[in-house]
Amino acid sequence: MDIFGVFRISASALEAQRARMNVIASNMANAQSTRTQEGGPYRRKDVLFSAVPVGQGDKGSEGVQVTEIVEDPTPPTMVYDPGHPDADKDGNVAMPNVKVIEEMANMMLATRAYEANVAAFNISKGMLMKTLEIGR
Amino acid sequence: MDKSFELLERLIYATNIRHRVLSSNIANSDTPNYKARDVDFNSFLAGEQARLTVTDPRHIPAGGSGMAGADIISAPGQAWGDGNNVELDMEVAKMTENGLLNQAGVRLLSIKIGTYKNALRR
Repeated sequence: MDIFGVFRISASALEAQRARMNVIASNMANAQSTRTQEGGPYRRKDVLFSAVPVGQGDKGSEGVQVTEIVEDPTPPTMVYDPGHPDADKDGNVAMPNVKVIEEMANMMLATRAYEANVAAFNISKGMLMKTLEIGR
Repeated sequence: MDKSFELLERLIYATNIRHRVLSSNIANSDTPNYKARDVDFNSFLAGEQARLTVTDPRHIPAGGSGMAGADIISAPGQAWGDGNNVELDMEVAKMTENGLLNQAGVRLLSIKIGTYKNALRR
């Protein structure tokens, strides 16, 4: 059994949750962006996680990785604002499909998951340190 | 020699495996379609020999060199919309409990070694 595999499991989760936080932060930052390089308003992005075996493929040991960053397919929110430079001829502006409340909730989930993994990492460390003291 | 060395070795080994399985559950608490797993300690505790079932051909059977595999089972839990049934708080609670069990094993083993050291010193 690979002793350090457990650290890689927790570390992969910390990395994945941080990637999720980055995506959430960019969604919130661009909640009002009506222009993007691809044209049109900003589209909300989300991360897709998948389980990956860690180490020599011991049964039951799986880390996590971000497989893909996907765009939310829901149509942009139309807001009536004739004074806006990006308004169409009817005075409607296509605003990003980002819901700030939803992003806040997601951010809290990501934070909790991150914290749980930090706790798991610390427990692993404590166990290993105690094991090293056998026979002292 | 003393049977309890072997027993404690197995206890520490089994708690290490369980810790790793629980770490995987926590790491995958947001992975779609991931199903929570656990280690079956009943097989570990059953019988005088405290023998563990061999679930993988690579595992060395209990009673030989003392190393044993542990049964990895799927943990119960209601799956959410994304097919994931990990309950984060439960997993952290299980992990704390398992960590204490591991520490108990380590402490007892140290005491055991200490007694032998003491005996040899006289």
